[in-house]
Amino acid sequence: MCREKNFLLEIPYGMRDFLPHDAAIKRNIENVLANLFKVWGYDEVITPAVEYLDTLTMGNKNSIQRHMFKFFDKNNRTLALRNEMTTSIARLVSSRMQNDDIPFKLSYICKVYRYEQAQTGRQCEFYQAGVELMGNGEPTGDAEIVALAIESMLKAGLVNFQVCMGQVAFINGLMQQWNLAQDKQKYIRRALEKHDLVELDRITAETALPDEARAFLRSLPMLHGNENVLKKAAAFALDEQSKKALDNLEKIYDLLKNYGIDKYVVFDLGVIRDFSYYTGMVFEIYAPGLGSPLCGGGRYDNLLADFGKNCPATGFALGLERLMLALKNQGKTECLTNSKENYVAYAEGRLDEAVEKAMLLRDAGEITELAGSPQKLSEAEAYCRAKNYVNLVYIQ
Amino acid sequence: MGRLPVEEVRLSVPGKEDCIIAKSEKKGVGLMSAENMEYLTIALPKGKVFGKAAELFKKIGYTAEGLSDKSRKLIITNRDKKIRFIITKTADVPVYVEYGAADIGVIGKDVLLESAKDVYELLDLKIAKCHLMMAVAKQAKRAHLADYANTRVATKFPHIAAEFFNSKGMQMEYIKLHGSIELGPIVGLSESIVDIVETGTTLRENDLEEYAFIADATARLIANRVSFKMKFDRISKMLEDLRAIIG
Repeated sequence: MCREKNFLLEIPYGMRDFLPHDAAIKRNIENVLANLFKVWGYDEVITPAVEYLDTLTMGNKNSIQRHMFKFFDKNNRTLALRNEMTTSIARLVSSRMQNDDIPFKLSYICKVYRYEQAQTGRQCEFYQAGVELMGNGEPTGDAEIVALAIESMLKAGLVNFQVCMGQVAFINGLMQQWNLAQDKQKYIRRALEKHDLVELDRITAETALPDEARAFLRSLPMLHGNENVLKKAAAFALDEQSKKALDNLEKIYDLLKNYGIDKYVVFDLGVIRDFSYYTGMVFEIYAPGLGSPLCGGGRYDNLLADFGKNCPATGFALGLERLMLALKNQGKTECLTNSKENYVAYAEGRLDEAVEKAMLLRDAGEITELAGSPQKLSEAEAYCRAKNYVNLVYIQ
Repeated sequence: MGRLPVEEVRLSVPGKEDCIIAKSEKKGVGLMSAENMEYLTIALPKGKVFGKAAELFKKIGYTAEGLSDKSRKLIITNRDKKIRFIITKTADVPVYVEYGAADIGVIGKDVLLESAKDVYELLDLKIAKCHLMMAVAKQAKRAHLADYANTRVATKFPHIAAEFFNSKGMQMEYIKLHGSIELGPIVGLSESIVDIVETGTTLRENDLEEYAFIADATARLIANRVSFKMKFDRISKMLEDLRAIIG
C-alpha cells in the first residue's frame, strides 16, 4: 500500500494532453479557422505567452489578477502568463505598429492561461482563436466581427447555436441618466455579471427611482428576443448615450441581414461580458449542452488609448476546446478526424516499388503508411483491420 | 536485372465501411439530443424544500404523475407538458444545473452560496426561510467576536464561513462536518459553529447561543446559463408565473 507516488507520470492541475484523435480534431478546426480568418483579410500575429503583469491587467485592473499565473524575472518585476489575447494585441499595435495605417485586421490561434476551476472544455491552459479589428469605429466593423464569429461556427461544422447581442453603453447610459450613485452602478453591473436577479431586485429596490424605471432595471436580463426588445428598451432610453447604443444595435443587426446570418442572432440586453474593457456592442455564442458561452466579444474603444494609441476596436475570441465539445455534442467531429486511408505493404524484394507507390499516394494528399518490412498478404490484411485502414495496397 | 511486373492489389478492408456508418448514425443521447432541447428539466432537492417547491410548481401547472421525493424513480416525466423532474441530494442541485443536466433547479441560498456555481439566480421563492449564523457555547461565551480569532469553527459551509471571518480580518481553523454541527463545541471539537438555523430550538437544546448573523437564506430558483438563453421563452414564462403567485 505504501508504494511511493510517481509524480513523474502526473501533470499539474488544469493541464491537459491531447491524444492523436483529439489532437487531429483540434488541428483540423484550427486549419479551417486559420484559412477563414485569412480569406476575410485578417493577418496572423504571434505574441509571447509571458508578459509583464501590469501590461496584461491594463483595462481590467484587479478583477483578473487572482486568476493569473504569476512569477518574477531576475529584476523582480512581476510576470504573468497571458490570460487572453486582446490586451497583448492592443499592446503590440500601440507600440510596434504605431505608425502603420489603420485599420488593423489581426488574428491569432494560441494558448492562454487562467488559474480557475478546471472544467471539460476549459482547463487552466486552453486554446483561443480570434480576431481584432482596430481602427474601425463604425457598426460595419461590429457587424463584420459578429458575422465572422458566426462563420467560424458554421465552417467548423456547428449546426445548433445562438448568438446573443447586447450593448454595455445602453446600461451605462441608463444608469447615468437616472443619476445612480457610482457604487449602486457598480453593484448593478456586478449583479448582472453574476446573473443574480435576486440581488438585482434587492439593489433596485434600494434606489429612489420611480416604479417604472425600477421595474425596467429589474427586467434587464429578461430583455431577450427579436427587434421588439429594442422597441421596449427605447421607451426608457432618454439620454444620448443609451439612445445611441440602441440605434447602434439596430444598425449592426441590419448589416447582419446583408450577410444572411441574422437568423442566428437575438438581442439580449442582459449580456454584458465579464471583462470590464468593453464599451459598446457585446455578444456571446451559446450551444446547447455547454454550461458556458463558447465564443464572445465586442467593442472596446478605450483599451488602445490606455496604451497611448487612441483607436476604436472590436473583436472576438472563441474557446477551441469548448467548440470541440459543442461539435462532439452535435455529432459533428467524425468528419474532423483523420481517417487512415492507405496501407502499402510489399512482398520480399519489392520495397522500391512500394516506396514509389506510397510517394505517389502521398503526393495526391492521401494518408498513407508504408510497411516497415516485407509481409505476407494475410499479415498485411490483418494489420489493416487492426489499424483501421480503408485501403490496402499490396505489391507482390 | 529486369524488373518484375508490379502487381497491385487494392482492396477495401472488410468491415471498415460498416464501422464508419455505425459511428455517424450514432445520434447524441447526452445533454444535447433533440429530445433534451424539447424538454425542460427541473432539479428538486430531497427533504424539507421538496414539498413546498413541488407545490409551487403545481400551482403554475408544472407537475407530473408520481412526483414525490419518496419515489424510487429518479426521473419523473410529464410527456404532455414536456417536463422532466429529477430528484437529487440537496448539495447536488447546483451541480446538475451548472453542467446543464438540469435546466432549472430549486435550492437554498445557503447551499448556493457555498457551492459558488456559475448559474442564473432567478427568483427568491420565499420558502424554507432560515439564516446563516455563527453560534458558540453559552457557558464559554467570549466578550467580542475578535476574541474568537484563530480558533476552530465546525461547519457544513467552510466557504461561507471563511468569507465571513476573512471580511472581519480573522484567520480561523475550519473543520468540515456533514451533520449534527451543534456537537462541535459540546465535545470540544471546536470553539464555535457556522450553520443555518430556522427557529433556534436545536441551538437552545444544546446550550448554544447565536453569536453573529451572517446572511438570510431562502430557497431560490436557479437556471443553467445556456438553458436560460436557449430555452428563454419557456423559462421566462415560468418565472413570470412563479412571480405572480409569490407576489
